Amino acid sequence: MPHRESAHYAVSVVGADRPGIVAGITEALYRLGCNIADSSCAMLAGEFAMILIVSRKKTFTKAQLQEELKPVCERLDMTLSIRHLSLHEQDRKETDAEICQITVYGADQPGIVYRVTSTLAERRINIMDLQTKLVGSDEAPVYVMLLEASLPDTVAPEEVEGLLNSLKDELKVEIGVRIVTPVEL
Amino acid sequence: MAVQTILKYPHPVLKKLARRVDVIDDEITSLMQDLIDTMQAGPGSVGVAAPQIGAALRVCVVDVSKSRHGKENNHGLLCMVNPEIIARSGTAVMREGCMSVPDYTGDVERATVITVRFLDSRTGEERELEASGFEAVAIQHELDHLDGVLFLDRIVSISTGLFRRKNYA
Repeated sequence: MPHRESAHYAVSVVGADRPGIVAGITEALYRLGCNIADSSCAMLAGEFAMILIVSRKKTFTKAQLQEELKPVCERLDMTLSIRHLSLHEQDRKETDAEICQITVYGADQPGIVYRVTSTLAERRINIMDLQTKLVGSDEAPVYVMLLEASLPDTVAPEEVEGLLNSLKDELKVEIGVRIVTPVEL
Repeated sequence: MAVQTILKYPHPVLKKLARRVDVIDDEITSLMQDLIDTMQAGPGSVGVAAPQIGAALRVCVVDVSKSRHGKENNHGLLCMVNPEIIARSGTAVMREGCMSVPDYTGDVERATVITVRFLDSRTGEERELEASGFEAVAIQHELDHLDGVLFLDRIVSISTGLFRRKNYA
């Protein structure tokens, strides 16, 4: 449940990976009396990225948060960005929509992510999670993309594969679609 | 007949090992009715285990016959006392959510075909049946509740498996 009386911020931190980044950032947030609601961290190449939704019961300004986190980020050599979330952005975006997991892989070439995601965007299919990886050898690089997207009412789950079919031939990639809508037990 | 409140984690009863039932008496019959009522009151609910309504006993109900995933393949309403899975085969991953762990879902790997043995509280007879597909998933999920196991204990992440190995050197 969103706490209407508190301030919410989206904090992101990116920098060269090393031990102690999560501990350093979360210690600073803890000392500030911030709650970490949702968060996600990932390492890509040698870069470590954190994105956190933080809140504090006693409201404070973005400038205060910036001031407290800045020295920590400087010490860890990380870039910091903070965005204030307005009240309507604080609501959890829980969805009853059907969710598709889409896997795309094939010989690497420019435009795989762009072509797949623009085809989805045209039908208002909303990407919730996307990861890509360049694998294989230097001579034969292979691109792998895994994404999850929520479908609007206007798109049936069985339709998604068909929407992407023409891209299979055009980009010479394999595309798999799996419905992963959660079951309530 | 009463719809009970579904307890939510971190209520301690959800992590307890539930006790076997010795006899199907009035208490168990009434507990079973509460489980049925509670399941039928929950929108889209396909099963409730006794610990979820505060009774640490090996009793649960499952009924996937009205659900989208189970309507083609099910045994109707199952009123299970001391259920045990005696055979399992195959595996499949499904994204599960649970009324006792709201706002969170996760990918869980479970057997695709199971044989379950239990006392049917309505007849007092021992039953053994083979379940598959969504019904098998629902039975495994409810039986986990009797062992204090939540889907959170079983989450597998396929994506980290796929993306973990990488040498940038």
